[in-house]
Amino acid sequence: MIKLTKFATLLLLGFVSTANAQEVTALYSMNGQGNNGMIKEQPARTLYADTLLNNINEVENIIILDDNNESYTFSEGQLGEDEDFSGTTAMISSNDDYFLSETGYRFSSMRFRIRAYESLYNNVYANGVLLNDAERGQFSYGMIGGLNDATRNKEGATYLEHNSFGLGSIGGASNINLRASQYAAGHKASLVGCNRNYLARIMYTGSTGLMQNGWAFTGSASYRWANEGVIEGTFYNSFAYFLAAEKKINDSHSISIATWGSPTERAQQGAATEEAYWLAGSHYYNPNWGYQQGKKRNARVVNSYEPSLVITWDYNINDKMKLTTSFFGKYSMYSTSALGWNGNAADPRPNYYQNLPSAAYDVWDLEYTPTEDELNDFFARYNYWTASKANRQLNWDYMYYANQQANATGGECLYYVERRHNDQLTFNLGSTLNIDFNRYNKGTVGLQLGTTKGMHYKTMDDLLGANKYTDIDKFSVGDFGINSDYVQNDIDNPNRQIKKGDVFGYDYDIHVNKATLYYQHLFSKDIFNIFWSAHVEGTTMERYGHMRNGRAMEFSKGSSGTAGFLGAGTKFGITLPFNAYNTFSFGWGYENRAPIAYNSFIAPRMRNDFVRGLSNEDVLNAEISYRLNVGPVTAKVSGYGTLIKNSVEQNAFYNDQQSQFTYLTMTGVNKLHYGIEAAIVYNITSSLSVNAIASVGDAEYTNNANGFLISENEKVVINDKVYMKGVKLDGTPLTALSLGADYNIKGWYLSANVNYYDRIYIDASKYARLASVVGNPVIDATTGEERLDIPTQYKGKGGFIVDASIGKSISLRGGKKLNINLSLSNILNNQNMITGGYEQNRDDSYADGSERTYKFSKNPYLYYANAFNFYLNIGFRF
Amino acid sequence: MKAIKYLSIFVLSLMATSCMNDFNEPNFNEPPFGNSGIGEANTTIAELKAKYSSTISAGGVQEITSNIIIEGVVVANDESGNVYKQIIINDATGAIIIGINDVGLYAIAPKGQRVRIDCKGLHIGGYGKMAQIGALYNGKVGRMNKYVFPSHVRLIDLPNPTQPEMTPDTINASFFTDANMNALAKYVRLEGVEITEADGTATWAPEELQNSSNVVERHIKMGSTNIVLRMSTYADFANEAMPDGKLNINGVMTRYNNYWQFVISNTTDIEKAGK
Repeated sequence: MIKLTKFATLLLLGFVSTANAQEVTALYSMNGQGNNGMIKEQPARTLYADTLLNNINEVENIIILDDNNESYTFSEGQLGEDEDFSGTTAMISSNDDYFLSETGYRFSSMRFRIRAYESLYNNVYANGVLLNDAERGQFSYGMIGGLNDATRNKEGATYLEHNSFGLGSIGGASNINLRASQYAAGHKASLVGCNRNYLARIMYTGSTGLMQNGWAFTGSASYRWANEGVIEGTFYNSFAYFLAAEKKINDSHSISIATWGSPTERAQQGAATEEAYWLAGSHYYNPNWGYQQGKKRNARVVNSYEPSLVITWDYNINDKMKLTTSFFGKYSMYSTSALGWNGNAADPRPNYYQNLPSAAYDVWDLEYTPTEDELNDFFARYNYWTASKANRQLNWDYMYYANQQANATGGECLYYVERRHNDQLTFNLGSTLNIDFNRYNKGTVGLQLGTTKGMHYKTMDDLLGANKYTDIDKFSVGDFGINSDYVQNDIDNPNRQIKKGDVFGYDYDIHVNKATLYYQHLFSKDIFNIFWSAHVEGTTMERYGHMRNGRAMEFSKGSSGTAGFLGAGTKFGITLPFNAYNTFSFGWGYENRAPIAYNSFIAPRMRNDFVRGLSNEDVLNAEISYRLNVGPVTAKVSGYGTLIKNSVEQNAFYNDQQSQFTYLTMTGVNKLHYGIEAAIVYNITSSLSVNAIASVGDAEYTNNANGFLISENEKVVINDKVYMKGVKLDGTPLTALSLGADYNIKGWYLSANVNYYDRIYIDASKYARLASVVGNPVIDATTGEERLDIPTQYKGKGGFIVDASIGKSISLRGGKKLNINLSLSNILNNQNMITGGYEQNRDDSYADGSERTYKFSKNPYLYYANAFNFYLNIGFRF
Repeated sequence: MKAIKYLSIFVLSLMATSCMNDFNEPNFNEPPFGNSGIGEANTTIAELKAKYSSTISAGGVQEITSNIIIEGVVVANDESGNVYKQIIINDATGAIIIGINDVGLYAIAPKGQRVRIDCKGLHIGGYGKMAQIGALYNGKVGRMNKYVFPSHVRLIDLPNPTQPEMTPDTINASFFTDANMNALAKYVRLEGVEITEADGTATWAPEELQNSSNVVERHIKMGSTNIVLRMSTYADFANEAMPDGKLNINGVMTRYNNYWQFVISNTTDIEKAGK
C-alpha cells in the first residue's frame, strides 16, 4: 500500500510538473514555411502571400474549438468550431514594408496575428469587390484553398495607406487580381511532398496570356491529399479548380470572368488537456478519432465547397479616370460533423473529464492523501488510458452496438453523427472609380453593395445503425417532462422522426445587407504624402427561423424584424521625409462599425432575439513610424495604439453545471491593442543579407462587460456582469522576435531564421468570469484583504523556433525552368509550445457550492505548434 | 489551347478520386463489450444470495473467491435516469442489484438483455441489508469500477423483452413477510395500487422536495405495508405528473434495512388498472 501511494505520488508529481512544464519555458517550433519553389522569382511582397496561403491552408485545419459537447464559441480566439478560420491578418502586403511582408509566413506556425487584430478587421477583395463573409466579417481562406498560383497576383495596403481598390480597416486590405490576361503565358506544374495536414499536392496552372484576338484564358487545378496527415486520425481530400477568361473589347473596355471552387473533405484535430496529452505521451494526441472494426474514423469531418464567380468590367474612361466594376457571387456549402449522444447515453468522448485519472481525487492538492479506494480508481483510469491506443480514442463499435441494442427493444438512438451546416448565398457588387486629378492629387471613389443569406441548420449525418431518433431537446426533458411542448425543437412538427439527411435541432437564416460608400484621397510629392479617406456604411440584419422552438414559441419562427445600423469612418496619414534617409509618418483613424451579425442574436439556434442594447462599435487607431534607408540598411520602427469600444461578442458552450447548452453574449466590450513593430534588413553583400524583426505589443480587454446568459432549455435571459478587465486576446504570441539570414548564389538560395515567441494566451472562459460564478469576495491569505476570486488567464511561455529553407532554380533549354525548394520547420523539434487553446466553461464547484473533484480551472484545452516538419516543392515551368 | 487540354486531363483524372469518409454499419459476431470467455452459469441468483445471506443481512461485505457465474435478464437500468449506476438482473429464482460506477449502462444492458456475471473477484454484501454485487468501497459494498465491469460480464444474444424472466410475479399484501424481505430483490407486479401523493398534478420528483440524495420519496400502501418509492430528481420523468387512481406497476422490490422500497425504472412500467 505504501509502495503504491509512493508510486502514485511520483506519477502525480510527474503529471503536475509536466502540466506546469509548459508554464516553464518551452522551446519552440515553426510549422509553416511552405516556400514555393517559384517564389523567389517573384517580387518579395507577393512571395510571402503564396507561402502564407500554403500555411493558411495548413492552419485552416487546426481548428480551435471549444469541444465541450456540442459547444462552440464565437469570440475571436475560438472562432471556428464550424468555420475555417485563419488567425492571421497578415495577408496585407504593403509596398516594401519588410515587417508586413515577412511576418505573415515567418510567424505562421504560431498563428501570429499582426497586432493581435481579429481577422474581421482585414478586408480581402477580388478585382475590387469585397469577398469577406458578411455574417462573420472575415475572409474565409478555405474559399481559395489549393489555388496558390491562381490567387498569387495581389496587392495590399495597410489601414493608413492609399489603395486603388477598396476600403481597408485596421487590419488592412488586399486585392486579388483574377483577370485572365494578368497571368504569365505558359504552363506551370508543381509537386509538393510534406508531412503536414496533407502529404502531397499536385498543381497545374496554364495561361494563354492576352492573345492577338483580345482573349485571354487561364486555368488552374490542384489536388491535395493525405490518407492520414501528420496528426493521427486526420485525412485530407481536396480538389481545386480555377477558370478565367478575359476579353479586351477595345482600349476602353475589357470584360473578365473567373470562377473557382475547392471541394474539400478533411478530418480535424481536436484539443485536449495537458493531462490527456500526458497520458497519451504526445502533445499531438487527437481525441477526435477512434477505431471502427479496426479502421480509424474521425468524428469531425469538414465538408466544404464554395463555388464562386467574379465578373469584372474594366472601363478606362480616359487617361485620368478608370472605372472598375465587379460582381461577386458565391454559394458556399460548409459543414462539420460531430458526435451526438441522446437520452441518458454516456458521453462517448475518450477525454471526457469523468474518464480522467484526476477525476478520481484532487491531484492538485499535494497535501491531500488519497484513500485506498481513490488510489485504486486513479490507477484503474491511468491503466486504462495507457494500456492501449484504442482505449484513449472513440469506440465506434461500442456506439453501433449500443444502437443495435436499442433497435432490438424499439428504443431511441443513443449515438449519432450530426452535421452542422453554415451555408451562404452571397451577391456583392463593387465599383471603384480612380481619378488622377493632377500630377500630385489622386482620388478613389468606391461603392460596395452586398446581400448575404446565411443558412444554419443541422442534419443527421449518420444514425450509426439506429432506427429511431426523435427531434426533442434532451436537456429539457428532465425539467419539463417528455410530454411537454417545451422539449420540442419544432413544435409545429412535434416528435418528428429523424432519418439520415433530415434537418433537425435548429434551422434558421441570417440575412445581412450592407452598403459602403467611400472616398480616398492621396496627395504626394516625392516622398512627402498626405492621405485621407472617409466612408459611410449601412447594414441591416435579420434572423428568419424555420422552426418554432418549444422554449421560444413566440419568438423563434419567422422574422426577427430587421435591425439597421449606420456607420462611418475617417482616417488620415502623413508621410514626412526629413531628408533622403529618414522618413517619418503619422496616421490616425476612426471607425464606427456595425456589429457583425454573428454576434448580434441571443441564442440564435432557437430565438429571434437581438442582443439587448445592440449598437455599433467604435474603433480608434493611431500610429507613428520612422523609416531609415541608408545604403545597405533599411529599417522601420512603428508604434501603434488601437482602441475598440462597445463591441459585442458571443460564446456558446455546454454548461455542465446545469446540463444545458448555453449562450453567453457580452456587450459593451472595450479592448486596447498597442505595441511596437520593428524590422531591419542589412544587405552585407549583394548575395547575403541579415534581418531582424520584432513585434512586441499588448492586446487586452479594458473593462468588465455586460453579460447575457441563456440556456437552450430555458426561456429567460439572465443579466450578469463579466469580469473581463485585463484578459488578453488569445491565440497569438504578443511577443514575436526573429533573426534571419538570406544567402543566394548561382541559382541557389538559402535562408534561415531563429524566432522567439512569448506571451501566448488562451481564450479565457467568459462563463468562469461571470459575477455569479466568481461569487462573493474572498479574504486573501497573504494580504488579508478582500478580493474577488477571478480566474487567472492561462499563458503559454516563450520559446524558440528555428527553421530554414534551401532552393535551387535550374534553367533548362527552351526557356523551361525547374525550381526545387525544401523547407524545414521547427528544426529543434520543440513540441512544447502552445499556439492557443481555451479554458473550460465550467465551474469547479457544484450548484450547491460543494467542490468538484475534477478541477476544470486547472485543465485548459491546449493546442501545440507542429513538431519538426518539411515541405518539398518541385516546380516546372514550360 | 494546350492549357485547356492539360487542364481537362488533370480534372478528369481527379474526378476519379472518391470520398474518404465512407463507413458502413458493422455486424458483430461477438458483442464489442464484455468478456466472451465467461462460461455457463453454475449458480442461481437465489443460491448466491443464500450462500452469502449472513453477510448480506449483517450489512457486511465479502469478496467472492469461488467460481460463481450467474445468469439473468436485465429488468431495471438507468435508461430514464431514475436508477443510477446500477442494473438489476432477474432469473427464475429472484433478482439482484449489480453496482457499476458508470453511466449510460443501458447502452449495453437494455431491459431484456441476458447477461452472465462472473462473480469471482467481485464483492457481495448488504447495502441497508439489500444484496448487491459490486466492489469494496469504504469498508462496505459499493459499485465496481467501470473498467473492471467488462471483464466480469458477458452479453448473451440480443435483448428480448418477451422472455420469461421479463414477466414479474404479481404480489399482494401477503407478500410482505420477513422471509420474503430477506430474499430480495424480486421483480414484481403490483396490481390496483395507488400512489399516496398522486393527485393528477403533483409531479414525481420536484427539486423543492428532494432530500440530500436528490430523491423524493413517494409511497404506496398495500394492506398495512407502506412501500417507499424512491424517485430521483434526475429522472427524465421527474417533472411529469404522477398518475392517480388505481395502477398496475412493474418494478423491483428492494429494501433499505427494514423498509420496503420499490424501484421503478421507467414510467412505461406503469399502466392504469382495469383496462
